[in-house]
Amino acid sequence: MTNETSTDNEIDLRMEEQMTEEPTTEEKTAAASPPNAGSDAGPTKPTGVIETKAMSVFYGDFRAVADVSLVFGKNEISALIGPSGCGKSTVLRSLNRMNDLIPTARTEGEVNYHGQNIYAEGVDPVEVRRTIGMVFQKPNPFPKSIYDNISWGAKINGFKGSKSETDDLVHEALESAALWEEVKDKLGESGYSLSGGQQQRLCIARAIATKPDVILMDEPCSALDPIATLRIEELMLELKEDYSIIIVTHNMQQAARVSDKTAFFNVKLNETGMRTGYLVEYSPTEQLFTTPKEKDTEDYITGRFG
Amino acid sequence: MTQAQDTNVHFHQELDALEQKVLGMVDRAEQMAGKAVQAVTTGDLDEAQQVIAMDDELDETYLEVHREWTSLMARHQPLGSDLRRMTILLQLNSTFERMGDQCVNIAKITEFNRGLPSVERINEQIREMGDLVRPMIRTAIEAYIRQDLDEARLLPAMDQPIDRINANMYRETVAAAGNPSLLEWAAKMMMASRALERIGDQAVDFAEQTVYLITGERAEFDEHGMLGIPDDDE
Repeated sequence: MTNETSTDNEIDLRMEEQMTEEPTTEEKTAAASPPNAGSDAGPTKPTGVIETKAMSVFYGDFRAVADVSLVFGKNEISALIGPSGCGKSTVLRSLNRMNDLIPTARTEGEVNYHGQNIYAEGVDPVEVRRTIGMVFQKPNPFPKSIYDNISWGAKINGFKGSKSETDDLVHEALESAALWEEVKDKLGESGYSLSGGQQQRLCIARAIATKPDVILMDEPCSALDPIATLRIEELMLELKEDYSIIIVTHNMQQAARVSDKTAFFNVKLNETGMRTGYLVEYSPTEQLFTTPKEKDTEDYITGRFG
Repeated sequence: MTQAQDTNVHFHQELDALEQKVLGMVDRAEQMAGKAVQAVTTGDLDEAQQVIAMDDELDETYLEVHREWTSLMARHQPLGSDLRRMTILLQLNSTFERMGDQCVNIAKITEFNRGLPSVERINEQIREMGDLVRPMIRTAIEAYIRQDLDEARLLPAMDQPIDRINANMYRETVAAAGNPSLLEWAAKMMMASRALERIGDQAVDFAEQTVYLITGERAEFDEHGMLGIPDDDE
């Protein structure tokens, strides 16, 4: 909702994270209980990494999204699409408690990460955001060198490696983000010296360096030109080998190109004239874009929509 | 928000126009089938020439449709039922172009068979095949325009008598084996029969495309007009 402030939000977050001890991804995964096998199971249930159950998000009295139940697959790219105001970004930001940073925001229902509700009492939102990382619409590198963008992010998340270990971490993260070849000779230069597409890949490298399990992407290509967009999309397809990715996009063709599953959200007016987003259909991407189950989906993807 | 308002008007207008053009092709192919049968069974060379000229126009339309289709696809990248319609139109474009080619194959026999003896029973069977295949094409067109699943499903049953006559044509030809010039004529008529049988199959294929457009299910008809098992869809 407030993309302009997201840069600040993320930096604030990193500051908080200095205080935390960092368990490894393996420990975190092991600590989380397995998904509850008895509940209403969808076909994708066994491979789900995040599952929402009847999730609603409120801003004060205003219910922005209602009753979202979704299972996001492990090592899959899931796309959230829909018209403006349908709540797709709100849903995304609820998946790693990013909405907590908005004072009036409140989430009801459950968001289970490997079976554990991330909104349960005692869960550290900072740890949640490290495990479930986020890449924003506008590339937001820190005002630091390319090298420090990676190492600083990792260090404030508890990375305590030697100089050579840090070098390796930076190399590895930039390599994974398909940026290494372009920046290896200028690691000391400011992150701001890079092009928009490179900055976005730097932000992805920074997210990867903290060893997350899930990467949320909020319109990661909307500020990029078509070539830079294709590079990010290629990168996403490579990253899904190791991570689960959930992406919000305005661009249906982008969802069609990269995602395994697509969730279509729509928005309806309630009695009091408020607009609430809701989930219409969640299907394998190919099915959703060729033979959607719901008429609303069909109307949206063919442009027959008010 | 609830009423469907077309925000993609220009694309849909172009898609409608392209569809009209493709349906115009099958309409023309249906006329050509009638003329080709008339030509080959009566030895009418003028009629045969008309079929060949009509096919030249059909081939031009085929190329136009291909160009316009590619342009539409590149500019709009359609999805959902629009994507299905586009896919079908490309396939129908080549199906109808081939229907035209089959009609030309029949028409050309008229010239080859000039001056040869003939058997009226075989001529009658070819005429009957023509009388069976043209309603098939018209039924398939109507099923498409009305989006009528039941009508589309009639096609396989309509195709059966054509297949039977075609299978019998071999025996008719063998019966002419005693007379070399009659055999030459009959062998050519067997090719005309085979071409009509292919046109019938193409009409069935058209109806299968219609089923896909309506249901989103890729399937082939069995002889009762029931859908076969879809390929690999969920």
